[in-house]
Amino acid sequence: MKTIPLNTQQAPPISVPLRFFTVAPLFLMLAALILLSGKYNPFANMHSPALLAATHCITLGFMAMVMLGAIQQIMPVVIVSPMPATRLTAWLAILPLIFGALLLAAGFMQGNPVLLDIAWPLLGLAFVTLIAASLISLARSPAHNATKTAILLSIITLGGAIALGMLLAHGYASGLLLPYDKLATAHINLSLGGWVLLLIIGVSYQVVPMFQLTPNYPEWLAAGLTPAIFFVLLLNLLSLLLEFRPNWLVIVVQGMFWFLASSFAAATLVLQSNRRRRIADPTLSFFRLGMVVLLCTAMLALATLFFPSNDRFVTLSAELFLLGFAMSLINGMLYKIVPFLVWFHLFRGGVKRAVPNMREIIPEHWMWLHLRLHRGTVLAAVFAPWWNVAVWFVSLGLLMQGMLLVYVLFTAISVYRRSLQRLEESSP
Amino acid sequence: MDTITEFMKEYHHSCDRAFADSEQAVLDGKWMEAETAFDDFRTDMARHFHIEEDKLFPTLISAGGPPGPVHVMCMEHDQMKGLIEQMCSALAQRDTQEYGGLSETLLIIMQQHNLKEEQMLYPIADHFLATQLGELLDDMRSA
Repeated sequence: MKTIPLNTQQAPPISVPLRFFTVAPLFLMLAALILLSGKYNPFANMHSPALLAATHCITLGFMAMVMLGAIQQIMPVVIVSPMPATRLTAWLAILPLIFGALLLAAGFMQGNPVLLDIAWPLLGLAFVTLIAASLISLARSPAHNATKTAILLSIITLGGAIALGMLLAHGYASGLLLPYDKLATAHINLSLGGWVLLLIIGVSYQVVPMFQLTPNYPEWLAAGLTPAIFFVLLLNLLSLLLEFRPNWLVIVVQGMFWFLASSFAAATLVLQSNRRRRIADPTLSFFRLGMVVLLCTAMLALATLFFPSNDRFVTLSAELFLLGFAMSLINGMLYKIVPFLVWFHLFRGGVKRAVPNMREIIPEHWMWLHLRLHRGTVLAAVFAPWWNVAVWFVSLGLLMQGMLLVYVLFTAISVYRRSLQRLEESSP
Repeated sequence: MDTITEFMKEYHHSCDRAFADSEQAVLDGKWMEAETAFDDFRTDMARHFHIEEDKLFPTLISAGGPPGPVHVMCMEHDQMKGLIEQMCSALAQRDTQEYGGLSETLLIIMQQHNLKEEQMLYPIADHFLATQLGELLDDMRSA
C-alpha cells in the first residue's frame, strides 16, 4: 500500500495562504469602483466593458485568489496529499494572477489590445502553475473518494476555461475572426459550471459534514453527481460547437445541468437541516444562503431557456451564481480557514494555554455583519439589470465587503504576531 | 463492523454526538446538563485516545506500519487533550464565550484529524493487520 508522510510540515507557512487572502478583497473593492465608473448601467448589457472588467476582478482577483490560497490548506486534509513546492507554486501563481487580472480589467475598460495581449499569457502562467501543482497532488494522493474525483474534474474544466479565455483575449486583442459568442458561452460554462461548481461540490462533500456535524452526502449522489455534471458540460460544449438542432435538444442538455446543480443545493440544505450541531454559525448561514441562491438561479436559468427574449435575465442568473452562490460559500469558508490557520500555526509544537481560540482571532460579530452586508449586496444585484440605483448598492456592498475582509484579515494577522511574540517571550 | 476503519469511524461519530450535546448545553446555559454532557464527551474522547495510543498504534508499528503518520496523530491527540482541559476550566468558570471559542477550535482540529485517520491511517491499519483483525478488534472493543 502506498503511504505518504503525514506531518505538520505538510501545511505551508502561514504567510503563503494569507498572502492570497489579503490580496483578494482588494479586487472586490476594485470591482466596485469599476461598476461605478461607467455612464450607463453595466448590468443592462452582458458585454459592457465595465461588467466584463468587474466580473473578471471578482472571478480572477477574488475567487481564484482565495481558492489558490485555500486549496493548499485543503488538499492535505481532504485528499491527504499536500501541494508540491508550496512557496514556489505560490509565487509563480500569485504575481502573474495579480498583474494578469489587473491588466485584463484595464484592457476591457480601455479596449486596449496591448494590455489584453500582456494579460492572457500572465494569467495562463498562473493557472498552468495551479493546474500542474494540483495534478501532482492528486496523483500522489492515496485517497479514493468522491472529493478527489470532483477536484480532478474541476481542474480539467478549469484547463478548458482558461484555454478558451486566453483565446478570446488574444482574439479581441488581435482582431482574429472567431465565433466569439459561442466561445464566450463555452468559457462561462466551463468556468462557472465546471471549475467553480465542481470544486465547491467536491470540497462540500467533506466540509459540510465536518463543520456542522451533518450526515454524509449519500454515497450514490457523491459518486455520481460530479461525473454527471462533467458529462453534461461536455454535451453542452458539443451542442454549442455542432449547433444542435432542434433547439429542444439544447434545452434538455441545459435543463439537465441545472437539475444536477439543484440536486446538490437541495441535498446540502436537507443535510444541514439534519445537522447534529444546532448552534448559530456564520459559516452555516453563508452556506445556506449560497444553496438557496443556487436553487433560485437554477429556476431563473430554466425560465430563460423557455423565454429567451430578455438578455438581462441571463445576466442576472450569471450574477446570482457568482455573487449569491460562489461568493457566499467562499466567504463562509474564509471564516473557518483563517482563524484555524492562525490557531494551528501558533499551537503547533505543543500545548500552549496562551494561544487565543478561533473566536478570539476573528470575533464572530464581524462575521455576522459581513453576512448581513452580503445578503444586501445579493438582493441589490437582483434589481441591478433594470434599476440603475441598485448598481450603486451592489457597488457599495462589494466595497464594504472588501473593506471588512481586509480589516478582519489584518486583525487576524495582528493577533498572530502579538501571540507569537508573547509565546516567544514566555518560552525558556 | 469487521474492519478497523468501520469500527473507528463509528466511534468518531459517537464522539461527535457527545461533543454537540455538551456544546449545546453550555451555550444554552443549562449548566447541570452541560456538566454531565461534557463529562460523557471527555470520557468518550479519553477512551478513544486510549484505544488508539495503547492498542491500535503499537500493534500497527510492530506489524511494520508507518511510524510517521502515527506520530502526527499522537501529536494531534495532545493538541485535543489540551483543548479539552481548557474547555473543562471554561465550564467550571461558567464562561460561555470562552467555551464556545474553544469548542469551535476543537471541532475543526478534531474533524480534520478524523478525516486523515479515516482516509489514510485506518485503511493502512486494515491492510497491515489483516491477519489479526478479529483479535485486535475484540481487544479494542473491550478497552
